[in-house]
Amino acid sequence: MNVNKKKIYPQWFIVLPLVIYVLFFLLPSILGVGYSFTDWSSKSAKTGIHFVGLKNYIDIFTSNKNYVQGILHTLMFTVVSNIIKLIPALFLAILLNESIKCRGLYRTLFYLPSILPFVIIGLIFKSILNYNNGLLNAALEFLHLGFLKQKWLSDLGVVWKSIFAVDAWRGVGYVMTIFIAGLSAIPSSYYEAASIDGANFWQKLRMITLPMLKGSIMINLVFGITYGLKVFDIIYVLTNGGPGHATEVLTTYSFQLYSTGQYGMSTAMNTVLLIITAIIGVGVVKMMSRQEG
Amino acid sequence: MKNKVLALLLCLGMTVSLTACGGDAGSDESTAGGQDSSEAAGEAGEEATESAGSDDFAGEELSIIVSADWMNDYYDETISRFEDTYSVTVDLQTIPADQYSDILQSKLETGTCTDVFWIQSNPFAIASVIGNPEEYCLDFTGEAWEGIMPEARLSSCKYEDKLYGLQIWHNSPEYVMVYNKSLFEELNLTVPKTYAELKSVCEKIYAEGITPWFMPGADGWQHQLAFFQIGGVYEETDPGLYEALNNNTAVFAGNEKMLEVLGQFKELSDAGYFGEDWIGTDSSNMANEFGDRTCAMAMANSSYVKQIKDETGSEDEFGMFLIPLGDNDTFPTNPAGPTMFGYAGTEHPELVREWFRFVTTTESLQEILDNSGKYTNLDVTDENLEQHWLPEEEEFMNTVDKSKMLTPVLQTGTKYTNDYWMDFGADLIAYCQGTMDADTVLANMDANRAAGAATAGDEAWQ
Repeated sequence: MNVNKKKIYPQWFIVLPLVIYVLFFLLPSILGVGYSFTDWSSKSAKTGIHFVGLKNYIDIFTSNKNYVQGILHTLMFTVVSNIIKLIPALFLAILLNESIKCRGLYRTLFYLPSILPFVIIGLIFKSILNYNNGLLNAALEFLHLGFLKQKWLSDLGVVWKSIFAVDAWRGVGYVMTIFIAGLSAIPSSYYEAASIDGANFWQKLRMITLPMLKGSIMINLVFGITYGLKVFDIIYVLTNGGPGHATEVLTTYSFQLYSTGQYGMSTAMNTVLLIITAIIGVGVVKMMSRQEG
Repeated sequence: MKNKVLALLLCLGMTVSLTACGGDAGSDESTAGGQDSSEAAGEAGEEATESAGSDDFAGEELSIIVSADWMNDYYDETISRFEDTYSVTVDLQTIPADQYSDILQSKLETGTCTDVFWIQSNPFAIASVIGNPEEYCLDFTGEAWEGIMPEARLSSCKYEDKLYGLQIWHNSPEYVMVYNKSLFEELNLTVPKTYAELKSVCEKIYAEGITPWFMPGADGWQHQLAFFQIGGVYEETDPGLYEALNNNTAVFAGNEKMLEVLGQFKELSDAGYFGEDWIGTDSSNMANEFGDRTCAMAMANSSYVKQIKDETGSEDEFGMFLIPLGDNDTFPTNPAGPTMFGYAGTEHPELVREWFRFVTTTESLQEILDNSGKYTNLDVTDENLEQHWLPEEEEFMNTVDKSKMLTPVLQTGTKYTNDYWMDFGADLIAYCQGTMDADTVLANMDANRAAGAATAGDEAWQ
């Protein structure tokens, strides 16, 4: 039997998207990697672009600017932001998958922050978290909890926690929505059978929900990891890498290099990000294929 | 048949409209011509007679490209008078600030630049921004208007002893200490002239529950002014420092005066004199803090005094003094400013020269100043110009010795320093928070300047 004849779309349908993908994504990415080995700068129109080998990469790891710390911050953000979003989102999804009153309203309310632009979120939270006249500290004062007041965005010991909190506020609803989609696909008969067998909530979670949610967990994990590795907006709008360099990540450094005209160095930073993403991406894909197999 | 009628009607319509246009144009031209001749005759003043005949350029167009906020509407009257005097038109192309640099560069490199162009100049900008002035700029050497610019500003307009640019900018005190004079009087405080005096003043103000020195660290670009605006004191302590820094024979790292100033800044920060959370505070509420007396001093421009009064209705008196860190007594002279250049490839070089002569007459300068609204003075040597200094500015300027106004601020007096303004600010905060030491802050600036020099291909760094 000739299976190909039964295909709805012919092979050449892929040509146009492939050409667009290669021209506007793949080629610029490869060019970017190529430029990371040059001295490309804002003055290159006059001086030309010259091959400098691994100089940019050596500079990244030996520079007076602590780029390595920026890379470590990026990895830390990726891990922590995923943990603090995935776990609460899973429990929220389970809760809002039950037949409770105003379920739709709650789902909408939790999802809403994820559609807000980062610039708006930055403006709102910078105002809320202001030490002197921010809403949060004012509320704590009002509740006679003044001892809990913090310099939310300028204290070295607190600033990352503030960023994670804002990031979770924005992202939990999105992750939750994907979990809800996964949960609604689990047949209720599984839970009924488990209940008859006397299984409690945790046993049902471990034996039914989590195994059946593998697909949703993987999707959230992949989205979360790629989001975490290329994080820029939330840091830029809340702290711009500060106070000092305390919250610099790979992309904020790359942005700074670009804005001072050091395009070669900037593309080298992005190439480092590409390598890290590729390594983690390959790992995740392998893990997924193993589970599918 | 219907088509033929339609075609005939259309032809008739076209003929009528063309005739109408021709008639209008003719009448406009005659009116304009009439105005020109009468106004030119009426304004045949001394300036017009000095230059080329007003009819020599009739019908030509002078094109100018400028970034938003550099000319605004305060050049309109002068442009209009120039058009009338010479029967020319001026095509003013105002570009949004964030796009201006890219557009200008591409116009220069593709040979399509306007007759006149502007850059934000400083003593190094002709080389770094324009690159090759001989190729792109008209040489104005020998023009009489060179004399209207003070020596410090000329440094932003000349390259290898040739005059290329014209800088007409104000010289109001920028980022000096603005203070609440009434509050000082009530607390029996005198204006501090040394760091020790400043510390003592801060201590007394702090004891009253008032933030002595409002420092908006969250803006990211303001707090480092305390270090850079006192460039004169570094040069005085170590004569020739600027030149050595520009020749790459000296570095920031290890400079004792700079280390002293950084140490003083941190000391004030640690003492809480900048406010409880200065690193997390931006300047959006600064005027209100002055108005309700929750702060006593801040680094600001002289025009800020008016802003405080306008925005808060404060009846307090305000004044200014020099930033006393490092016992500084030098004025923050800043030769940077928007500067006009003639394009070498212009088709109307004589008209461009005439424009520069025209705009530097007393009448034009007075128009520009009077129409600017926000500027109280123009930094020119023309004694016939009627300046509009604020009383606070005059009082302050009288306290500063002229010999203390010669050295420009550090950020524009030394190459590649200003390019890393934000980086230095972040390092300074890291230093105040104890995650970086003072010498590393300075060493980082050296490394950044070296990177900037490498990007620019500066021979002194090779």
